[in-house]
Amino acid sequence: MSTAPFAAPDEPPPAPTERAGSTGPARAEGRLVALLERFRRPLEIMSGGIVGQLAALAIVFAIFTLGTGGSYLSLRNVLTILGLAGIPMIICLGIHLVIVIGGMDLSTEGVISLVAVICGFLIKNSFTPYDIGFWVVPIAVAIGAFAGLVSGILSTAARMPSFIATLGIWWVAQGIAVIVGRGNSVKMDDPRFQAFTNGETLGLPNTILVALGLFLVLWVMQRRTRFGRYMYAIGGDEALARQAGIRVARVKVLVFTLTGAIYGFAAILLSSRLAASNPRVGNGQLFPAMTAVAVGGVSLSGGVGGALNAVFGTLIVIALNDGMVLMKISPYVQNAVNGIVLILAVALTIDRRKIGIIK
Amino acid sequence: MDEPVLELRGIEKHFPGVVALKGIDLEVRPHEILGLVGENGAGKSTLMKILVGLERPDAGEILLRGRPVVLDGPESAIRHGIGMVFQDGCMIRSLSILDNLFLGHEDPFVRLGFLSPRRMAEHARRQLAVVGLSGLDPRTQISELSAAQKQMVEVARLLWLSELYRVEDPTLILDEPTTVLQEGEVEILFGILRELKKRASIIFISHRLEEVVQHSDRIYVLKDGEHVGTMERSAPGAPVAEVPRVVRLMVGHELSAEHYRESMQAEPGPAVVLRVRGLARERAFRDFSLDLHAGEIVGLVGLLGSGKEEVCRCLMGAQRPDRGSIEMSGKTVRFSSPKDAIAVGIGCVPIDRRSEGLATSLDVADNINLLVLRTLLFGPFLDPRRERENAERWVRECLIKTPSIRSLCANLSGGNQQKVVIAKWLAAQVRVLILDHPTRGIDVGAKEEIYARIRMLAASGMSLLIMCDTLEEDIGLSNRLVVMKDGVVVRVIPCAARQKPSPVDVASYVV
Amino acid sequence: MKRFRLVQPLTISLALLVALVSVFTLANPSFLSQYNVTTILNAVTILLAVGLGQVCVILTGGIDLSVGSIMSLVSVVLMMTVGRLGPAAYPLVALIGLAAGFLNGLIVSKLKIPSFIATLGTQGLLVSFAYLLSAQPLTAPESSYGVLDVVNGHLGSIQATWIISAAMLALYYAMQRFTPLGRQIICIGANERMSWLAGLDIDWARILAFSFAGFGAAVAGIVLSTTLYSGYPTMGVPYVLNSIAVVVVGGTAMTGGAGGVMNTLVGALIMGVIQNGLTVIGVDVYGQQVFLGILVIIAVAITFDRAKVAIIK
Repeated sequence: MSTAPFAAPDEPPPAPTERAGSTGPARAEGRLVALLERFRRPLEIMSGGIVGQLAALAIVFAIFTLGTGGSYLSLRNVLTILGLAGIPMIICLGIHLVIVIGGMDLSTEGVISLVAVICGFLIKNSFTPYDIGFWVVPIAVAIGAFAGLVSGILSTAARMPSFIATLGIWWVAQGIAVIVGRGNSVKMDDPRFQAFTNGETLGLPNTILVALGLFLVLWVMQRRTRFGRYMYAIGGDEALARQAGIRVARVKVLVFTLTGAIYGFAAILLSSRLAASNPRVGNGQLFPAMTAVAVGGVSLSGGVGGALNAVFGTLIVIALNDGMVLMKISPYVQNAVNGIVLILAVALTIDRRKIGIIK
Repeated sequence: MDEPVLELRGIEKHFPGVVALKGIDLEVRPHEILGLVGENGAGKSTLMKILVGLERPDAGEILLRGRPVVLDGPESAIRHGIGMVFQDGCMIRSLSILDNLFLGHEDPFVRLGFLSPRRMAEHARRQLAVVGLSGLDPRTQISELSAAQKQMVEVARLLWLSELYRVEDPTLILDEPTTVLQEGEVEILFGILRELKKRASIIFISHRLEEVVQHSDRIYVLKDGEHVGTMERSAPGAPVAEVPRVVRLMVGHELSAEHYRESMQAEPGPAVVLRVRGLARERAFRDFSLDLHAGEIVGLVGLLGSGKEEVCRCLMGAQRPDRGSIEMSGKTVRFSSPKDAIAVGIGCVPIDRRSEGLATSLDVADNINLLVLRTLLFGPFLDPRRERENAERWVRECLIKTPSIRSLCANLSGGNQQKVVIAKWLAAQVRVLILDHPTRGIDVGAKEEIYARIRMLAASGMSLLIMCDTLEEDIGLSNRLVVMKDGVVVRVIPCAARQKPSPVDVASYVV
Repeated sequence: MKRFRLVQPLTISLALLVALVSVFTLANPSFLSQYNVTTILNAVTILLAVGLGQVCVILTGGIDLSVGSIMSLVSVVLMMTVGRLGPAAYPLVALIGLAAGFLNGLIVSKLKIPSFIATLGTQGLLVSFAYLLSAQPLTAPESSYGVLDVVNGHLGSIQATWIISAAMLALYYAMQRFTPLGRQIICIGANERMSWLAGLDIDWARILAFSFAGFGAAVAGIVLSTTLYSGYPTMGVPYVLNSIAVVVVGGTAMTGGAGGVMNTLVGALIMGVIQNGLTVIGVDVYGQQVFLGILVIIAVAITFDRAKVAIIK
């Protein structure tokens, strides 16, 4: 209980002070939006934490356990879910960084394909003489980081919205990937990669262990380093962050670079799953990552949500899809369900005041 | 006494077309609360922006403890110990008190690259105690705090920063701090400021003259960019000055009768066009009633926080009132968006014409025709000839100076842009037009044309509700004034031609 | 970039088009042969149709990522029904495109979520729907060739596709230039706040804009599938990015409120010329993609209205 002389308000805090003379808030609310906004405030508080997501996960588990007569809850299935979630979780952990600073990254698929193709020729294969084994990992990370760097520079120095800049990078990277790969699928003759990606340690799939390791690193970064806090300041209010003396451009470029590096790493894992690299490795990775980000409670307006949210968002999305597979729901219906989930998750968590005008 | 902490000498600032500050000398003494007062447009905010480094003066110098300094941004001002708590607040709402307090200056808490939350929390609690927020958990999100608490957190940050940069006598500037406070909180605020006086000098800007005379040690009055007077406490415990004396310094101009075309002012007709009864909106205004007659010009007068802006928003459909009724020509109407208000004939020329009045990237014709496209059809399609004719008609009538009706509005002068906005509403044949600061940012010549236009509109039977930049303008143009304060109408003052009240008299009700 | 305001983006795009045609003709004179020009114009038809759809949404300041999946769905349904319904299949699939666009508009207006999320979501829904109808690629039954040739055949020396392009151009130009809706769409993109204060029905205008987008995508899907006599659920995938490129390279600003149908025509021509020209001088499809990507970035950088977006996110 506060003993402060200024009593804490017992009604919701007043709307942000409006500049004298402006004609009020951005738009009068429709009834549907008013309903959604009533859910958003509690969810926003929860989405900094994960109470809502834990509940959602529990609900998903409950529904599918009932639907499959219990086999959903078996150890084997849970391990399957974890195994499936590993790589998407890594990608989601990457993309959520950009979302937290209030940007958007559409370059995911292109960058992953590009890294996969280049690295396919560096690992032992039948087209080139290279065989650099695990040294390919830092190279993959470097290529991804470079792509992220370009995205970051376009978004800051060239003053393009990140949405457009990364759209362009997606295009360009995808194109380069196909040129370099010449459309072929390159088989990985080095068996260690596939063994690692599909293998287990201490009973848990390796990919999920890697993902959780990445999660820990990012989690600490977000909470206990200045860089992490500055990410949230920029996402919360970029103009005020700049006014407080934060080097906004520098932070943004670094974030994009870091995200790109994570993509690079994910590319190696993705292509080693089937021991083949080709320019299509990245296809279809953006949609589930975006859904996981939104469902996990990372607000698209920025400044809210973190690594923990990315983890839980991915788990919920994968658990949902796994359940649908077990219940023999057509894979095409799954796509539809994911689409609806994405729309609903964003509708419930987006801060409309910050975005102002929805386009 | 001791030398001033901060001194401004000969500060001048020009903006295109207008001189904001003319030769300002100001001194801030240690351990004092200096009240800064002046009308809107007197130059207060420009002066303060110069003090915190957001603007550079065109002439003059700033001296800190006798030494000249150059402030090239808020950061450098803070390093010299000058900080401002802005009206809109500088705290990032999604972050905690802790984050905001030390944002950008966390070096003291970093060890081996990592922040130490425990030490930060300790320091935060200490800082909060200084500003009277001792029980507050530093991890609270800013969005959870009341306006009063937010302000105090900002003061806490400024104090901490001056400690960090080893400034012994910082200067804190508070911009309209009491506007967002509730009843009891004002006293608490000044109690805290009196404590803070021991370690800082405080400049506080306010329109609320009773508070200023009661709590300041000195008062500095600005008018039209000039320093017109300073008042000091004659004896300890006595108020610094009487409010009317301050008002007289702030306001008091010679009203030039023809400036506002008083000769064209006519008595309104008997018909009531707009009848408002008991309109109210939570936390903004209550019990607002008005009978607006055909051909009448009513000036809505009040300070920031008086509720007048919100009243207009409700009348134009941009906000929904909680209670009350609005009748147009006898029929009750409800607005759920501006579209409904326009449908019954109420329009508004907004204060910010570039962002709310026009689409500057479109041309003059498109802007003027925007509301009446359905009347310019040939079959299901727009008739280019009728579009052109309509646009040309209003350009002629409103004396809009533009190379062609296809010129982009972005290329027009401010005055002509305003005329385009007015033309748009005239083309839509509104019967009630709300004018929000219609001559803001417009040169003198164009202002006169707009005054003439306003007179002509009233003469043609249109009803006008205006809010102007200065009291003189409100008085000069209106048939009567409705004065609002703290959300209620406190006075209705008649302003018949040749019997205009003086601004000083009106101001006494406003403040 | 203020200098460029003095020169209309349309002029720049036209200049670019002329420059490209000149360069490619110099590299290979057969570039301007009748056969090649015909090939280009045929490809342009699809780009134009889907670009015209996309430009309606971009003018309001949004983006439609579902145009590709609308095209795919249309191709599948067309192949499924043209055997049984004959020419009635055309209005059926056009209606489907309209309905999909309407749904997009509804979601964006009523739920008030960003258009790229909404259309990312509906894109998933539409693709699912297409797969549910037919997981395998469909080919048109021979009996329907007559009906299909209405679209991909020719009248004398005039290709049917040119007639379709001309009709689409006329329709969308009329809408943009000569209807209140067209004015409102541009106004909303130019200044949405002012449009609301001026009483424009923003939700409805947006829904209609998305519906026009769906229709354009449907027409593009029709032409694409009749040309290939087949339809499958991923047919339209490349056209999402292509439609954005067509719009942007033509000089329409992604911030909305500037540009439009004519810009899109030039954009479609530029795209068609680039794709064809690069192929003629030996650059493969993916090199073209890189070239295009860079072109898009430059085009956006030039046309983007920074005054409108205070913070570039």
